[in-house]
Amino acid sequence: MKKILSKIETPLNKNLDRIESFIHSHGKVNFLFGAIFEAFDGLLRSSKHTAQTQPFIRNNIDTKKFMGAVLIALVIGWVLPAMYFFGLQCVISRLIVSFGVGVFVVDVIWAIIAREDHISEGGFVSCLLVPAILPPQSPLWLVGLGAAMAIIFRNIMGGVGHNLVNPALFSRLFLTICFPSFLATGYQVPFVGIPDLHTLRYGLDTITHATPFSEFKAEGTITSYISLLLGTANGSLGETCRLALILTGIWLIKMKVANWRLPVSYFGSVFVFSGMFSLLSKSTTAPPMFHLLSGGLVLGAFFMITDPITTTYNQKAKWIYGIGCGFITVLLRNYTTLAEGAMYAILLMNLLAVPIQSFMIKIKYRT
Amino acid sequence: MIKKKQNRVFKGGVNLFDTYSIPFCNIFEEISSDLPPELFNLALPDKQSVKHIIATLCPTEPWALPNWVILGHKTTVFLDKIKEIKTSLFPEAKCSVVISNNETEHISAAKEYAVANEWMEVFAIEAKYPHDDPVVLSKAILNREVNFGQDTLSQGILILDAQTISAIHKSRVLNDNVDSRFIALSGTGLKENEFINVQLGTSVEKIIKNRMKESARCRVFVNGPLRGKEINDFTQRIDWTVNNIVVLEVQDTKVMFPMINTDRLHFTTNLLGDVRACVYCNFCDDICPVNLEPALYYHCYKRGEKQRARLYNLEKCIECGLCSFVCPSKIELLRIIKECK
Repeated sequence: MKKILSKIETPLNKNLDRIESFIHSHGKVNFLFGAIFEAFDGLLRSSKHTAQTQPFIRNNIDTKKFMGAVLIALVIGWVLPAMYFFGLQCVISRLIVSFGVGVFVVDVIWAIIAREDHISEGGFVSCLLVPAILPPQSPLWLVGLGAAMAIIFRNIMGGVGHNLVNPALFSRLFLTICFPSFLATGYQVPFVGIPDLHTLRYGLDTITHATPFSEFKAEGTITSYISLLLGTANGSLGETCRLALILTGIWLIKMKVANWRLPVSYFGSVFVFSGMFSLLSKSTTAPPMFHLLSGGLVLGAFFMITDPITTTYNQKAKWIYGIGCGFITVLLRNYTTLAEGAMYAILLMNLLAVPIQSFMIKIKYRT
Repeated sequence: MIKKKQNRVFKGGVNLFDTYSIPFCNIFEEISSDLPPELFNLALPDKQSVKHIIATLCPTEPWALPNWVILGHKTTVFLDKIKEIKTSLFPEAKCSVVISNNETEHISAAKEYAVANEWMEVFAIEAKYPHDDPVVLSKAILNREVNFGQDTLSQGILILDAQTISAIHKSRVLNDNVDSRFIALSGTGLKENEFINVQLGTSVEKIIKNRMKESARCRVFVNGPLRGKEINDFTQRIDWTVNNIVVLEVQDTKVMFPMINTDRLHFTTNLLGDVRACVYCNFCDDICPVNLEPALYYHCYKRGEKQRARLYNLEKCIECGLCSFVCPSKIELLRIIKECK
């Protein structure tokens, strides 16, 4: 591999240099294609900038690697299990639409219109999360619209680093409000067993309207915890195989990309509050373990609330943030007609992160 | 009396030896000055003002001069030197010897020595940058608050490194002249990493002239690339404060496939990434040795409220540069902090 790459290295480098100097010497070309070239070039080549002030050496971690770790975790955590449970065609088509619309159309057009000098890597993460939180058999245009909304919304807020709330969750909220019927149906039943050619490609043909939590609300049945953990219970495309999500989430924490305080406080507070509520009224509220393993809670705890931009910066405030997320999730799930509360809880706490942060800073520095 | 300080005394910091392992060759070369050499002349404080002596035998930067160059395997001989300095110069002072905890040989020898000598304490600490900083050391070992930029002597603390102790012993106790010191030369811009024994007053040019790689463009840093200064004027002369010289290649062209060609970017002045907006990743406050939140200063600075940044304990910053070092968005946090100050 290294030998092959080293052969094409020099001619490719020369040509890229030539294209770069051509783009920079022609104003109109630069205006249209500068950012696209920069993004493509950034994947192949390193930066040419050097440190001008102290310290003169820098760590070998940049935002590309930071986002790359999240991408790897998401691929192992939901893409591979979903391919097995729902069929290759279902997953791959949704990924192509999501990336195509989100990154390669909307982000590129935005970079040209807004005259940005680079296309951000964060778009890949958002576009990989959008299909994960939609039903497996939702129409493809819905996925595309979701990805487009996520990227447009994030860019309007000022791009990566300035978005107040998680773009993927915001686009899901947008779709829930605009197309509630599409989000309540299309829950394909996961395939279990040794796949043959048909099931490998399409999965099972059975589609229901019910998710484990809506079943609990309607009939009071509790899906077995093992099937929830392994992913054989139905749910959104990316949230079913909780075991893979937990393992990759722990890997992310170990890589220090995700902050351990957030998942710990989220899981802990959901467990404690749902335990308290189920002691108060056993018949109407779900038991704590069912709360933890159902719905998008695991995906949210490891991949949504750990998104560093939308949480508080202060480490102690992260505990308040996680506990708040857990409390609102349990409240919404137990006492409203909504089938899933994690999304609303995280979005609400994203907004509340700003006052929590400034409050904790005021306490810490007594200003 | 042996105390093994726990890690919780120290906060943050990073072990640079894992990332930057610098192999030195063991041959020492002597370089003499063209001019008559200067003599080592450290103005020592008077007897009463020094209450504590901290001997730091724990260099935390991989390019700094290691202890074995001065100590060899004769730990007790060196500790005797400390004893003689103490008895003749600072009879009332207590002494703390700080040793890196992977030098087990020195630690066990010093432990034995400390049993017989009540005035001495031995601390084994992990060699994490910047835990040998005066502010961090006096806080962790003596629990004294020293402000950054303040002389530790005002609190009665005298911090000395191995080479300075040897020099003080030779010049004050034995009344001999000291006119040379050891310097570690390292970096990607040099043909070889080596130690030199150089006379004080030698110019930098004479030291690095035949040692630099001809092909590469290089930048020269005195006292390391993290805390040291870049020098462009090579006629500058070596004095006692120069511990090491690091020469780094300037990698200011794009490198193809940086994932597999890491060796071409490693230990150069390249930023190793593009400048982006802050993503609040918490790397900077995890690593900060004095428990600050550097991203707050960045956001104050960006909003144009430099005054406001001072409210967030800005004066406690020891300017170690680790926040800029780890930042994945490659923000120049240290420059911002200095401007806000």
